[in-house]
Amino acid sequence: MESSDEAAVEKCRVHLRPGTLCDAARATLHLLPCEVLVNGPAPVERFFTPAIRQGTDGLEVSFRGRRLRGEEVVVPPGLEGYVMVMEEKGEGVGKDFSEGSSNLREEQELAAPPEALERDFDRFMGATASFSRFTLWGLETIPGPDAKVRGALTWPGLAAAIHAQVPED
Amino acid sequence: MDCGNGARARQHVFLLPEYLKDASKKMKSGLMFVKLVNPCSGEGTIYLFNMCLQQLFEIKIFKEKHHSWFINQSVQSGGLLHFATPMDPLFLLLHYLRKADKEGKFQPLEQVVVDDMFPNCILLLKLPDLEKLLRHVTEEKEIDKKKYYKYSKEKTIKWLEIKVHQTVSALKTNNVNVSARVQATAFFSGDQVSSDKEEDYIRYAHGLISDYIPKELSDDLSKYLKLPEPSASLPNPPSKKVKLSDEPVEAKEDYTKFNRKDWKTEKKNSKMTAAQKALAKVDKSGMRSIDSFFATKNKKIGKI
Repeated sequence: MESSDEAAVEKCRVHLRPGTLCDAARATLHLLPCEVLVNGPAPVERFFTPAIRQGTDGLEVSFRGRRLRGEEVVVPPGLEGYVMVMEEKGEGVGKDFSEGSSNLREEQELAAPPEALERDFDRFMGATASFSRFTLWGLETIPGPDAKVRGALTWPGLAAAIHAQVPED
Repeated sequence: MDCGNGARARQHVFLLPEYLKDASKKMKSGLMFVKLVNPCSGEGTIYLFNMCLQQLFEIKIFKEKHHSWFINQSVQSGGLLHFATPMDPLFLLLHYLRKADKEGKFQPLEQVVVDDMFPNCILLLKLPDLEKLLRHVTEEKEIDKKKYYKYSKEKTIKWLEIKVHQTVSALKTNNVNVSARVQATAFFSGDQVSSDKEEDYIRYAHGLISDYIPKELSDDLSKYLKLPEPSASLPNPPSKKVKLSDEPVEAKEDYTKFNRKDWKTEKKNSKMTAAQKALAKVDKSGMRSIDSFFATKNKKIGKI
């Protein structure tokens, strides 16, 4: 890790724009059992989605010549899925002013926080999409109840107990 | 912003508590990721604050090797799944209280929670009910209506013991998947090991809690809980564990791995059972740092 970056980084806050959590449109997500080394646009709807078939015990698709078997995974109750993207520096500043700038300025003047939460060296990210389910794919076999990601989905329940405040004695 | 087309920026897949969405309707800012010291490893780790709800969240990242996401009409390498779950801020305060205790005197909290490396730690002071929380781990004095605190190891160990028991009950009852796997354990081990099972729960809960405290405190807690010393060299586990080392332990491993921030520390590994060790070798990548969030350049993305 680059130490020069690090030094600047520790102070930095990455603000998640609250409004984006409400506005995010539903997205379709597939968790694939293979590495795809690029990030970027992919014609999923043209080549992948139409090839999905409903088999006797789950979904099937052929991808890169391999047979994938899939099933729906529902996000556990109490949780909401989001896809988030970091904004480029400077991006979104204009947007903030376009959506009710007078309101914002007024609030700032009224509250006038001695130490503002947002500083000019901070960064921003926003939710670009939301989801409440995704399709989990296994290579040749259905991932099933033992899929590792299913174990992971039980984490929030356990974390709640670990972090529940201890009653006073 | 459009995730459907041309989203070349890294897309982070998150699971957040649903109520954050409702809370966000009323706020313009104050939902932010910051780097704070990890109370277990001492390294910088990303946490999430909601200043409106006055709540702290920890971020865990699930990663399985050889996975990727299709997100609408785009592909995202890595297949990471981020979890944000509420966190007890006392674990983080404890780090500073223990550090300040080297001076051996009572101090006001704002003198204790100071950090040149992670100045965002002052956000912790804005969380509610700190006075109440601090009673669990400190002795306090009040002079001229101002509170002064001093770390108390005795109180802390008792507090951690309650944490362990809370976690044990959650392992037993709250969690469907765990209980199913626990039944599998019972099936393999027969009823003669029922007392042993309780110990397994405690050891496991101790392992989970140990992810939030320094090693020294974890060892003290282990002694306090009368957990047997794990033998350092464990190519062959104790006989009664052998039959458990297949599936049930793997189920267990899911959590432990998921929750372990830092597989690198050998000391920690020596505390694991043989089965856990074996599994640790299989896939150490269950947890990944979320540092890439904060990287000013996108250098690292290509590697993932």
